[in-house]
Amino acid sequence: MATKQLVTKVWIAPGCIVCDACETTAPDVFEVQHENNTCIIRPAALDTEFCKPRSEAIVQSAEECPVDVIKFDTISVEVPDDQAGAPAAASTGDAASAAAGAGKAAPAKAAAKVAAPPKPKVVDPAIQALLAATTVRGGNVVIDGGLKHAPASVKHLAKLPADQLPPDARHQKVLEKSKAAKPADEPTRRNVMVAAGWGFMAAIGGGSTLAFARFMSPNVLEVPDPKVPCGPLSKYLAMAPGDVNEDFKPEKPSGFWIIREEDRIVAVSIICTHLGCIPSWLPNDRKFKCPCHGSGFKANGVNFEGPAPRPLERFKIYADGDKVIETARRSFWRWVRTTSRRGMIPRRILRFESGIELRVSSRGFAMRLSRICRD
Amino acid sequence: MVTMNFYNLLASDEGGIASAIKAKLNAWSDPKYFVTATVVLLILALITYRRWTKPRNAALLGLFFLAFYVWSATDRNFIKIIAKPDNVPITIMLVATAVVTWLAFRQAAINDERMERGEPLIESGADDKVLVWPDLVYTELICLILCSVVLVVWAILLKAPLEPAANPTNIPNPSKAPWYFLGLQELLVYFDPWIAGVLLPLLIIQGLVVLPYIDKNPRGNGYYSFKERKFVISVFMFGWVIMWIVLIVLGTFLRGPNWNIFGPYEIWDPHRLAALLNVNVSDIFWVVLPSWLDMSWWKPGLPTESFMGIPAYLIRESPGWILLGFYFAVLPGLLAVTFFKKIYKDIGFIRYAIFWSLMSWMFLVPIKMVLRWGFNLKYFLAQTEWFFNV
Repeated sequence: MATKQLVTKVWIAPGCIVCDACETTAPDVFEVQHENNTCIIRPAALDTEFCKPRSEAIVQSAEECPVDVIKFDTISVEVPDDQAGAPAAASTGDAASAAAGAGKAAPAKAAAKVAAPPKPKVVDPAIQALLAATTVRGGNVVIDGGLKHAPASVKHLAKLPADQLPPDARHQKVLEKSKAAKPADEPTRRNVMVAAGWGFMAAIGGGSTLAFARFMSPNVLEVPDPKVPCGPLSKYLAMAPGDVNEDFKPEKPSGFWIIREEDRIVAVSIICTHLGCIPSWLPNDRKFKCPCHGSGFKANGVNFEGPAPRPLERFKIYADGDKVIETARRSFWRWVRTTSRRGMIPRRILRFESGIELRVSSRGFAMRLSRICRD
Repeated sequence: MVTMNFYNLLASDEGGIASAIKAKLNAWSDPKYFVTATVVLLILALITYRRWTKPRNAALLGLFFLAFYVWSATDRNFIKIIAKPDNVPITIMLVATAVVTWLAFRQAAINDERMERGEPLIESGADDKVLVWPDLVYTELICLILCSVVLVVWAILLKAPLEPAANPTNIPNPSKAPWYFLGLQELLVYFDPWIAGVLLPLLIIQGLVVLPYIDKNPRGNGYYSFKERKFVISVFMFGWVIMWIVLIVLGTFLRGPNWNIFGPYEIWDPHRLAALLNVNVSDIFWVVLPSWLDMSWWKPGLPTESFMGIPAYLIRESPGWILLGFYFAVLPGLLAVTFFKKIYKDIGFIRYAIFWSLMSWMFLVPIKMVLRWGFNLKYFLAQTEWFFNV
């Protein structure tokens, strides 16, 4: 008794390249439909009893299939030795173990094959390499990564015109198709969409990184020196030390307070360094207090309560004869405008045409250049 | 005489039990008591959720709250706040929050009891399908009409006029955001604008988005239950009720002129003295601590010299960096091997990292608030040089 493999079911997995190989070998099982660009199992061959007598042809066409998409189930059937090789009308389908297999799952083939030995395959190493380099995706033969990284033999083959290719018809078919197929690096719709998606993500990421860097970096603004005449010096000398002159608070477009200190007078911006509200001067508390988030500043502008991280900005101030001149108004206005447009962060360094910088010291008490005006 | 006494009891500003209660409430409305009390109340409510959600108890609580609210409205300062057209939705929000919370917890309580008795849940076998036409469309039509009527009447009755052009010499004091943003405005008191105004709102939104990806537990899907999801629901209730609703209430009722804290029945006096002196962690470490220890080799004073190429400000802020580094990086790891061992095992490293970074930020807010109210702490990290204050 010998065992014999009989095919009970045959089907075609996705990836067929519509060559004629299978139909040549088993014309009553496979039908290649070039007009539909597909290959089907003939309706009659969907029947188990129809397949069994054609097992050899089916197994052979599966082996010969260049892209190995022909799949089949088999059952093992015990046959008397003298009947080996003859088609068996087996009826043991229930008890049989179905083994799914590609072309290699036919060990009894040699025994079954007596009359006609299988056609010798053309084993051209270049073709083998080309076949190894190609994969089948979505019904197309695709050389992954294009031909760029393919072995030299594959490149050579791919360059040949169709009529110079090796004579084996089936493989020639493969080659023609692989030449026609689009390499993966050529733009397909999916590639374009994926690239666009990643580009979009990169743009967002890069943009927000840039914005963050801009947000965190010190701001420098080149501005002309502006000047605001503030009246006679005697007016401020007459103030009691610690008093605040609010005359220039409504000064358009941005105001300042003039503060009389013990031995000097200073001009302090009215913009809160936290989020740009305008604090009120509370004479009883002797402090500036912001109505928005409760930041408090001492009479000299130093932040001491609430969230404000820095003291109120100071403006440059000097006396011209008897006149007090405050000089940073317009620059400050531009600063404020930029602040409100950009929304977040005050400009922290003002650089004047005269080369003077107005800058916040680390946690200092004043702008570095507030010019002291002594009596 | 009786009516007179009754009136005194109800609305008097001078003397009587009413003013005593008001004075007490005003005193308790210091946020460190107010927020602590609401947290305690929330915890109590979560523990006793089966008792207070019983319809009778809930109705009593609701009635008590409404009576208290109406009584409060007889106070001239309180009515000034709630009668402001901008603030009318606050009252609606308070009632709506209470109602939806009760509804959810009531159903959870019923379901939990049923589960314990082995009975089917209220949702099981419920066939609440209705026909689109006419049932749904009619309901929608009626809702549409009712909402339109309410909005039109509201718009007619309560004016929302444009105010005069902004004037730097005449700034509204306090300057308040719309009521629904008052929670965020409150955050701005404690954090830099870029944290309070950008990072935290983004984290809230992102946290809600990633919630279903962090929490894979299928329990509680499609049915109400508190018992099965105690931890998650408690965390959510904390984030929602305390960090959102309570902060809105705080911003609306308790923040007055100069953004000072006022009791709900207190006159908003812009000239009231409020002494505060906020200090940073670096001040505490470099100035307060050495002067307290009084050691010969460690003199009080902020570092001003750079050391081995490290800028002075980094040395100055190193206590804050270490503190925050511990809080954000070390603490989650410690918790993963101790208290949250099981959660860590269940959800894995990446989920745990995302989960705890969100939790870290959520809990940083109340921690910072309590430290500000209790200890006048300004910033953990006052790196003004980088505009980086936390």
